[in-house]
Amino acid sequence: MVGMPYDLLANPLGAVRLTFQKAVDSGHSGAATLDGRDWGAADLFRQFLFDDGGLSQVPILNAASVRTIPPNSLVRFRGMIQDMLGNEFYVGAYKDGGRWRTNKFTDVSQVPMDLSSDKRVWERRLLYCAPVPWLNSWTEPSSEVLLNRCASSTSPQTEKRQRDDDETIDHMDMEVLDHVFQGSPPAKKIRGGHPSPSSHSHECMAEGTCSSTSMVPDFESSSLPCLVKIYDSAEDDLKLNDIFEFIGVLTFDPEATAADKGDSDELENGFCEEESVHLPPSKVPRLHCLEHRKLGVHDFLSISPVMEPKPNQVKEIRETLLGHLTAVLGNDGLAAEFMLLHFLSKVHARVDTLAVGKLSLNLTCFNKENTSVFGNSLNLAVKNLLPITHSIPLSVDYLNTSTLAPRKDYETNRLMSGVLQLAEGSHLTIDETHIQAGTLTSVGVENTRLLKNVMELQKVEYDFKYYKMEMTTDVQLLVLSEGKSNIFPADIVLPLRPSSVGSTEMLDSEALKAWRWYLASLRSLPHTIEPQMQKVVEDDMVAARQANRTLGSQDFSRWLTMGRLMSLSFGETCLSLEHWQMVKELERLRMERLQ
Amino acid sequence: MASDSPPANIHDRPSSPDDSISSPIGNTFSSPGGAATRRGRRGRSSAADATPTPPQNSRFAADAATTPTPPTSRRPRGGGRRRNTPSTPAAATPSSADEAPQSSEGGEGDDANEAPPMFVWGTNISVQDVNASILRFLRHYRENPAETEGKYMRAIHYVIEVEGESLEVDAHNVFDYDTDLYTKMVRYPLEVLAIFDIVLMDMVSRINPLFEKHIQARIFNLKASTCMRNLNPSDIEKMVLLKGMIIRSSSIIPEIREAMFRCLVCGYYSDPIVVDRGRISEPTVCGKQECLAKNSMTLVHNRCRFADKQIVRLQETPDEIPDGGTPHTVSLLMHDKLVDAGKPGDRVEVTGIYRAMSVRVGPMHRTTYIDCLHIRKTDKSRMQAADLMDTENGSSRNEEDNPADHEDKVEKLRELSKHPDIYEKLTRSLAPNIWELEDVKKGLLCQLFGGNALTLASGASFRGDINILLVGDPGTSKSQLLTYIHKLSPRGIYTSGRGSSAVGLTAYVAKDPETGETVLESGALVLSDKGICCIDEFDKMSDSARSMLHEVMEQQTVSIAKAGIIASLNARTSVLACANPSGSRYNPRLSVIDNIHLPPTLLSRFDLIYLILDKADEQTDRRLARHIVALHFENPESSQEDVLDLQTLTEYVSYARNHIHPQLSDEAAEELTRGYVEMRRRGNFPGSSKKVITATPRQIESLIRLSEALARIRFSELVEKKDVMEAFRLLEVALQQSATDHSTGTIDMDLITTGVSASERMRRENMLSATRNVIMEKLQIGGPSSRLLELLDELKKQSSGAEIHLNDLRNSLHTLASEGFVSFHGDTVKRI
Repeated sequence: MVGMPYDLLANPLGAVRLTFQKAVDSGHSGAATLDGRDWGAADLFRQFLFDDGGLSQVPILNAASVRTIPPNSLVRFRGMIQDMLGNEFYVGAYKDGGRWRTNKFTDVSQVPMDLSSDKRVWERRLLYCAPVPWLNSWTEPSSEVLLNRCASSTSPQTEKRQRDDDETIDHMDMEVLDHVFQGSPPAKKIRGGHPSPSSHSHECMAEGTCSSTSMVPDFESSSLPCLVKIYDSAEDDLKLNDIFEFIGVLTFDPEATAADKGDSDELENGFCEEESVHLPPSKVPRLHCLEHRKLGVHDFLSISPVMEPKPNQVKEIRETLLGHLTAVLGNDGLAAEFMLLHFLSKVHARVDTLAVGKLSLNLTCFNKENTSVFGNSLNLAVKNLLPITHSIPLSVDYLNTSTLAPRKDYETNRLMSGVLQLAEGSHLTIDETHIQAGTLTSVGVENTRLLKNVMELQKVEYDFKYYKMEMTTDVQLLVLSEGKSNIFPADIVLPLRPSSVGSTEMLDSEALKAWRWYLASLRSLPHTIEPQMQKVVEDDMVAARQANRTLGSQDFSRWLTMGRLMSLSFGETCLSLEHWQMVKELERLRMERLQ
Repeated sequence: MASDSPPANIHDRPSSPDDSISSPIGNTFSSPGGAATRRGRRGRSSAADATPTPPQNSRFAADAATTPTPPTSRRPRGGGRRRNTPSTPAAATPSSADEAPQSSEGGEGDDANEAPPMFVWGTNISVQDVNASILRFLRHYRENPAETEGKYMRAIHYVIEVEGESLEVDAHNVFDYDTDLYTKMVRYPLEVLAIFDIVLMDMVSRINPLFEKHIQARIFNLKASTCMRNLNPSDIEKMVLLKGMIIRSSSIIPEIREAMFRCLVCGYYSDPIVVDRGRISEPTVCGKQECLAKNSMTLVHNRCRFADKQIVRLQETPDEIPDGGTPHTVSLLMHDKLVDAGKPGDRVEVTGIYRAMSVRVGPMHRTTYIDCLHIRKTDKSRMQAADLMDTENGSSRNEEDNPADHEDKVEKLRELSKHPDIYEKLTRSLAPNIWELEDVKKGLLCQLFGGNALTLASGASFRGDINILLVGDPGTSKSQLLTYIHKLSPRGIYTSGRGSSAVGLTAYVAKDPETGETVLESGALVLSDKGICCIDEFDKMSDSARSMLHEVMEQQTVSIAKAGIIASLNARTSVLACANPSGSRYNPRLSVIDNIHLPPTLLSRFDLIYLILDKADEQTDRRLARHIVALHFENPESSQEDVLDLQTLTEYVSYARNHIHPQLSDEAAEELTRGYVEMRRRGNFPGSSKKVITATPRQIESLIRLSEALARIRFSELVEKKDVMEAFRLLEVALQQSATDHSTGTIDMDLITTGVSASERMRRENMLSATRNVIMEKLQIGGPSSRLLELLDELKKQSSGAEIHLNDLRNSLHTLASEGFVSFHGDTVKRI
């Protein structure tokens, strides 16, 4: 494919059409038999993107770059599938004079269509994708890649974004100070870290979210949603809340007004697919997807695969990370161990209603004084280590007013996002320390129930008005509370016993990178158990239950999860006796603390 | 075409108004231009002409003569289908030979009148053939050969009699009678349905020439239903059956079908102008010869004719949505009678034609919708509440809906009921993911089936509903059982005791905010009339709320005397409640009554009270451990062989409740009396009256109900002795009475059999009889005592090989001691 007559980056449609012509010319009956299926264009792009390394040259679409990238060029977009808008039928191929032409991967036809000409109707899927909610700013793909092509035009924006990021961090630091000095009234804490008024200013976002909780409040710089049109893809490839990178043709026309709406009559409005009404092309760019790939948590690390640490380094990283966590938690080694396991947890199987592999952690003994110290440094540490994190400062007011569950709005036929619409592998901190006595309204009760469900079942009920639909989710939950949280029963309850004030160590960026890599990659390792080890585990459990009748399946489940995570934390894929003993020891120490 | 003006006339009249409906559709639809459309129309009209066979022709003409007289003869529901006929070819063709386009067609349309074989445009379907086969079908289809008159002939007569507007045609019948016709109908619905209507019209006019209304054929119940998300471009212009839930319906849109103009100058009224493909050709010149004023015509709204139209949005039902997807939706277009046939929230089954039209915003896009032909409400996931216990009138509906299918199902269910182990099988199928608790499940099964409600001539009535209370340690999957039953039961209401107030459960009087009238609002119990009301956390309920249950649970009514309303509402509901023991965990040192800690008045109203206790048992523990390890490390496969699915279970229960009304046999009655007397005797154990639940007359009623339910499970009309015995067993097992020490009222924890599998129980029973034999042999009444280990050795000798543990022996001895056979202290056994 040397010397392509078309520049795949600047004019992908040219290549699409060329391959189409070829296919039609070589085929027997042309477009009629094609039926919308791929004719080789996808292969061409696949080769260009992945084999020839063209991927890095494709500019990334975000709020900053959308105005500068010319329409009909190749872009990539990283986002979470926030809503699925169903299928769309379009005229895929039509006859222009004697020639077949195609409309695939575009919204407008190349030449005006003759009404009477011969046509084929094909279908494509519509996905509404939003930037990954609560994605931490350090995950932004290094901007030099994106700037290859349109460097001159985007650099001011990039700088601005950089500045925004700095601002948020500054802001956060100030919050920390605030808490230190004022003892932070709860009302303030609600909006802590996320200046909410600004979120309303952004029209794109305001449309998709609810008044009190914007979906992505502090990522204005990249809060561009995108309507992705998928061609030739099996339905179960793409699931709600999955994070994908879509590569395709951009169509975006900021100047376009909703086409002569006054003209269309009532009936047509009734039928008219709502997205064109509620997601006008002038605000939401369209991406005609040529290629997509699923992203995991580790795809958000800026580390390149080449410099992946060696297995023998894993232990080292584990030690340093543990040291860091211990320092953050005021020299509480036990809490740090549990925290590490918690960070590595992941739902790896579901049986009936049970989510196997989750490990939610409830750190207790936070009071007004030490929350400001440990709570905030902990939040910061979490933010620095994991790519997708969010903290909910819980209060009666928050529960009563916020929209946690996504809700279907039948007026607009859109799924309204809620705080709990989270991508797989997100981390959620619930800060219960500031909650005060008060009355929950029905909304509050419902929200509490939702949070509890997430905690216990890793499921979120989406509100479809006439029924609720349960969606599975995989969220690491950390609860900070004064006593044991009775509202949210976590898997592990551990009183924090700090012996020193949180440290103010400077973070080494290399170490930080290594830790991020460690947390992101180890948690997806497979895991097994040897038969003899299984026997040991079983015997231990039976003995434990004979000794203590209050132990139940939940406790055993927790032990096994911890065993698994413990061996994972050493980079091993098989449970060993040593790690099992460590788990039992941890549990023993924890029990001691609880008494 | 002058010769066939009358028929052409009839065609034009009824169908053109229809065209109006399609305004945006016919208009913007990208048919291959007007030429094709016109030709198609001509084809159609000629089809209409040529269809009738000669003798009918005259009638047809006669009918046609009546047609022009306006409004009555207008087709009320134009329809989605006829109006679009012209444009069909364009859309239908993508699948067929389209490349060779209009030219060949041209000739055909013209000489169609003369040339006998006529084809639906673009296909090889002969109009006459279809016509004839429809006629045959309508005339001759019989559900069973014995009937003298065909099903649809009867239906047509009926429609004429009630002056109905539509004839419902079951597509299954069409399929059975003429598969070919069915296929054609599904593939080319627009054409075939148009012919269908013509045939119908013709038949009707023959039966009653004065009948002026137009009867439409409404097809329903196609062989295969399409999943909403699988609709694809090849389904366009095909007939589809969709299931879903209505989520939104638009307001009713009046749509002009026929316009009337008046001259502003002279006041002359024009002839009614029918809408032609979405456009009204407004006359530019006054029609009156004397006037002829230009541009003077104005629309007179109240003399125009309008038809109702509505756009409804249908959404997939939750069970069709794949993992990680959101529900798809599709628009439905409803006309006339179908308007408001379903409300948002209804689950419906829609038969219609899938259509696409282009949108004005982008000529490349197509918006799709279903042109609705028939709509039927469904709610199949639950036992149908109406059918459930209203044996007098409710049960027939299902059968009428779908006779053949129904017969089939009944046959299957009957087959199922003949299984010797049906009782066990149903037990296994109930909440299969909760293991053990077999006896509890059996009790719940009885509750689902229920006993016979009885009303005596004197007015006294006996309830047939079985109430169950589950008391148990936390974490014994009580709530899971409850939710499962809630899912399964008709009109199940699930409440939590903590959040329920007395009025919330029964009924309350409220002021209507708009009118200010007092209205009666039903609470959970009234709402679950003829269902099961599941109450979780029964112990956390306030006393006043609980006392409201007294009336409901025995009299099955709720009485209200408040704010000028005195009413007694039916609440024929079974109550399934679950509670934790008083100290949240069962305390073995306290008696059962003290542990349950509910007023005896309420307790006696429960037919079965289950104590679900978590008991130390190494084997169970090991199984638990293994289960959990498997959960974490393997890919646990749900190996649930031989289990009925929820649907079948529901049907089975529903059928039994409707059709089986078992009576007590003499033998069973005898057994009942005997058993009851014995129970009374046991309850009156000296010095224990307060500590044990004693038998009351209520319990004999419970026993009857349980036995009836057990007979129902077998589809047996007769309650047999074994049913009664099983009922007794259930009652005993429920309260762990076999393990209760009657002198203190406490339960010997080692003796609890709930949660023990059947085989284990069998083993224990064997052990028990073996021990009894050994003691009979070795020990004398009142003789010297024997040591435990000696007995063990003796047993081991006898059992030859089978392993016997000391613990097992102990258990058996405890049981024997409770029977008063031996006395057992520490390590010594003495026969008494």
